[in-house]
Amino acid sequence: MDLLRQNVWSPYLAGIIIGLLQIPAFLLVDTALGASSSFVTGTGFIFSLFDSSITEIKYFAKYMSKDKYFWQSALVIGIALGALISYKASGRKASFSSPSWKTIGASSAPVIRLLQGFIGGFVLLVGARIAGGCTSGHGISGLAQLGVGSSVAVAAMFAGGIVAANLLYKRAS
Amino acid sequence: MEIFWLVILGLTMGIIFGIALEKSRVMEPGVLIGQFLFKDYTMLKMFLAATATGLVALSGLTALGLAELHPKSFVVGNIIVGGTILGVGIAIAGACPGTVFAQIGRGYKDAWLTVIGGIMGAAFYGYNKSLIDGVLDMGSFGKITYADLFPSLPFWMLGLITAAALVVVMIALEMYRPWKVDRGMDQNKEASVNSNAAHA
Repeated sequence: MDLLRQNVWSPYLAGIIIGLLQIPAFLLVDTALGASSSFVTGTGFIFSLFDSSITEIKYFAKYMSKDKYFWQSALVIGIALGALISYKASGRKASFSSPSWKTIGASSAPVIRLLQGFIGGFVLLVGARIAGGCTSGHGISGLAQLGVGSSVAVAAMFAGGIVAANLLYKRAS
Repeated sequence: MEIFWLVILGLTMGIIFGIALEKSRVMEPGVLIGQFLFKDYTMLKMFLAATATGLVALSGLTALGLAELHPKSFVVGNIIVGGTILGVGIAIAGACPGTVFAQIGRGYKDAWLTVIGGIMGAAFYGYNKSLIDGVLDMGSFGKITYADLFPSLPFWMLGLITAAALVVVMIALEMYRPWKVDRGMDQNKEASVNSNAAHA
């Protein structure tokens, strides 16, 4: 419990814990840790309210039927719950957006944060779905399986991120 | 396993994942983007530790015959273009598809818009998949791993060697830049900044 009240953990401890989660993922679900597939599952069920023919699209149908995608959707909801437990336990306060945006010289005006969030989220998932995985699926899980494609995906991810971040933000705080 | 238990398992694993993301501060936009600006090394350190641990775990599981690997296909065009777009998206959103949920749990309201944007992005790709994949088609190497490229070494051996190499990288990184340098300074400040802001 004391560990849960701490403000901050070493990134190594956090990384080891996340890496160990591969064990139940492979043993019990026969899959690797990932996050971005859950967006396709969510999209499928939300869009099926307006577009009943979406289940006829093979891509959506796959993500709306396989057990492991329901597991992954539960996983990302769990991530939100875990972060909620963690920040409440450490006594931090909620805020509209992260105060850390200041450290890279970004505006904290709500309109800008919402707009940037929406655009960023769109680009994020277009990229992740084209590549077939995200920072978890290609990154942490793909590299842990020595995947060649995943190693190229991670290199491309860092290249895109480094160039974009240097164009968008200030290095000095 | 029944769906019910898969969901319970997913939630439990997610809670652990979320706590680790929040405690390590990797879900903060400034930390994630800070890595791309090389002013904060937290993300790289967590990423290396998670990868090395996963390598050791999967080396053990496969050597004992308890699990099978599920590497992703190396579809050349999709991987290079998609990976680059994903990186740009991380820089714009200050989040990954997984850490955005930790931002929601953390109480950041703007993260909801990132998820809505992500749902629209997933829909955009899903509806236009054949068109996009067709444009990017540069062939595929299939589900190839580095263990396939070194057939004389079993996966577990190459896995442990790679994990050891990553540990060396982490030690060097820690000597160059102790993790507390990246963290220590901003925690209390952050708490006081937050106390002035509206909260749920």
